[in-house]
Amino acid sequence: MAAPMAARGLRALSRSVPDGTRTLHTTPSCLKTRAARVRVGKGDKAVTYEQAHPPHYIAHRKGWLSLHTGNLCGEGGAAERTLEDAFLRRFLGGTFPGSVLDSLVLKRRGNLVVLCAVLSRALPPHKIYFLGGYAETLLSHFYKCPVRLELQTLPARLPYKYL
Amino acid sequence: MAARRLGGSSWQQVVSLSRRCCVPGGRRERYRCSSSSTALGKTVDSSEVTPEEIVLPRKKTWDKLAVLQTLASTVKRDPTAAHYMFYDDPYLMPRNAATSRLFALSKESGRNAAKYIFTNFPQYFDKTFAEPNVPCLMPEDLTPQIEGLSEEALKERIHLRRVKDSVNLFDQLVQAGTPVSLETTNSLLDLLCFYGDAESAPEKEEEGKEDLEEAGVNASEQAAPKRQFQKGSFSPRWRDNNNAERIFKTMPERNAHSYCTMIRGMVKHGVSAKAYDMYIDLLNERHKADVHTFNALITAVPYLKEKFVERWELAKVFLNHMVEQQVQPNLLTFNALLKTLRRCGGIGRSMALLVFKEMEALGIEPSLATYDHLLSIFYRAVSPTDLGSSGIISEVLGDIEKRSFTPQDPDDANFFVNAMQVCCDLKDIKLAYQLNKVMEKGDNWKFLAVDRLNGYWSKFFSLLCMMEQIDVVLKWYKAMPPSLFYPTPKNIMDLLQALDAANHLEEIPSVWEDVKQLGFNRRQELLEELLSLMSREQHPEEIQLAFAKCAEDIKAAHEQTGREQIPLEWTGSALGSVVLLFSRAGRTQDAWNLMELFQQINRIPTDQVMDEFLNCAKRTSSPDEAIKLVKLAASLGLPSVQRLKNRTQEEFELSEQQKQTLESVKSDGDSSDSDSD
Repeated sequence: MAAPMAARGLRALSRSVPDGTRTLHTTPSCLKTRAARVRVGKGDKAVTYEQAHPPHYIAHRKGWLSLHTGNLCGEGGAAERTLEDAFLRRFLGGTFPGSVLDSLVLKRRGNLVVLCAVLSRALPPHKIYFLGGYAETLLSHFYKCPVRLELQTLPARLPYKYL
Repeated sequence: MAARRLGGSSWQQVVSLSRRCCVPGGRRERYRCSSSSTALGKTVDSSEVTPEEIVLPRKKTWDKLAVLQTLASTVKRDPTAAHYMFYDDPYLMPRNAATSRLFALSKESGRNAAKYIFTNFPQYFDKTFAEPNVPCLMPEDLTPQIEGLSEEALKERIHLRRVKDSVNLFDQLVQAGTPVSLETTNSLLDLLCFYGDAESAPEKEEEGKEDLEEAGVNASEQAAPKRQFQKGSFSPRWRDNNNAERIFKTMPERNAHSYCTMIRGMVKHGVSAKAYDMYIDLLNERHKADVHTFNALITAVPYLKEKFVERWELAKVFLNHMVEQQVQPNLLTFNALLKTLRRCGGIGRSMALLVFKEMEALGIEPSLATYDHLLSIFYRAVSPTDLGSSGIISEVLGDIEKRSFTPQDPDDANFFVNAMQVCCDLKDIKLAYQLNKVMEKGDNWKFLAVDRLNGYWSKFFSLLCMMEQIDVVLKWYKAMPPSLFYPTPKNIMDLLQALDAANHLEEIPSVWEDVKQLGFNRRQELLEELLSLMSREQHPEEIQLAFAKCAEDIKAAHEQTGREQIPLEWTGSALGSVVLLFSRAGRTQDAWNLMELFQQINRIPTDQVMDEFLNCAKRTSSPDEAIKLVKLAASLGLPSVQRLKNRTQEEFELSEQQKQTLESVKSDGDSSDSDSD
């Protein structure tokens, strides 16, 4: 708060000089990056491996959540893939309400879209099969390409550490 | 160098490729060149003899799926995985036959739910952005396009299988006086006879209501087919004077096709007598029937006549007519004939082989349904004395072994299950192995539908348990479930008997683990069998401990009361066995707790149980328990009380007080459980 006021004062002083103003630079600590980071708390917040690593660890300690060739040099369709990804995540999140434990991993191989989901064991298995069959068929008809669902169940969300 | 000059372009590419990929390894490159030149050695020589004569190998054309099929043939079945249609997760993998069927059906019903949304809301799915377009994933437009009273409109509705609409349109056309051509009328008759006057697909909600509003006549017709669907038969019954008959009677001219269609429809929907009358009409009009009509008539023979001889005579009549009308029989004719012979008893047996020879003489390849009918004719479960003709099945298997079959008859699917049943009845394991080999050949596995797989393999396993050595049985038992089938309770009983016969009772704890996983741990007869096997003889120490742990599980199974489960009742023998097992393992307290249950269930423990308990008490030197036992015996009024008392006195070191209590126990079973010890 002191810095901007001082800056304003300096600017007033140096208004007579057209250029060569010496303004104060704000320090980097005020511009902390906050993207995809879980801030350290009291130690009771359980975070998964995915959440615990900020984005600069992608390709070092993390993989990608969506694998397609749209972002390679000379390839097109990246925006369409991103839109499809957003729809697929929302669709599965809604079809298995409350059961999807971690972000979906989407893999595209040629024409095929493979959705790898980690579910909780809240629903009985025959209901999971019903919803899985429904999701696969509906998405295949919607996107006109084969869609396969590969499910894995866990008793609860798997904590990597507590922050 | 010589290679490059002489060879065709393909050889050039090979050599240049080898150069490119072996640049660092000079030796390898030279080897490659030399190998190609030695391969070309022949061409080099032959080309020196005749310079123009270069024999290039013929180009092989591969099937589109060849690479995938080759890769698939390298992968063997994983014995620990369930069927491919299930998700590979311990929570989602089915454990027994019931859950596997449930999961498969729920997945299928999920797909049906998605298809329902897809057909009812096609407007959300009709954007064609896929290149190239995928027509099977696009919504189909099943509404008729052509409106108005015309024959084209009628043809379109018939093509779209709309039974009611086509009948309405036809009636309107006839009333308006427009002549409808014979072919269109015939195709309308085909549609009606195929569906038996019921609607082809379940009607949509809004359309159903529209129909009700449109014409009051339709209301009764709509109600009736639905009622008939619910009657239980899977094809609806033929009503008297329904649309098909009505249109048939009012047709100005009929040709052979009309009669044939009517006959086939009537046979399909169960009114064989009418079909026969229709056939007589056809003969009177001097028309010729086609081969499909004759097939239908032959299948209807068992419903027309009762006695075996008459049935065979009628079938022969039809066959003679076929000869007169110069209609060539096909595979389905012979299959229908054999199916009829199945219901002809003894005559069937004598005629069946002749029919089969006739088929071969005409050059028609038999299908699996043919063999299925043959086996059923010769191996009726009723008459075991007739098993002298058991050579049939080995001949059948010998014939089948060499071929891979394609489905040609709907009855083909029954072959494998029936054949395995026959093998089980004959108690011949070698035939069963042969049958398995037949099934694994080529495409034959496709004939076993998923719901029949379990039956087939469980019969095979029962046969194995009966006939084979125990190590072979155990090998199959490790390899087959859960990938091929899930054992039924009968399979587990057979396995236990096999283990018993081979004196391998130490495998029982692992079998018990499997039983728990399969969900059979509340089956009374299985538990009894297990307990009796475990408690029959004395076993070495660690096995005894393992048995005691199983007994504890079984005890827990008896006691737990689930939410909707009826608690299992203890039987005397089961309780006695558990006490025995606990005693042998030295768990006196548990054994005593169970002994007290005897009075609750009003059963009497056997002498063996009492003796065993005393032994256990002696081993753990607890004379109190022994005295308690004697008191219990007295209160139950057992005749062996005196013997037990003597034994306790001899074998245990009793204090004065204990001796007195023992003396006071009367042997005629008066009240002695009022003692407070």
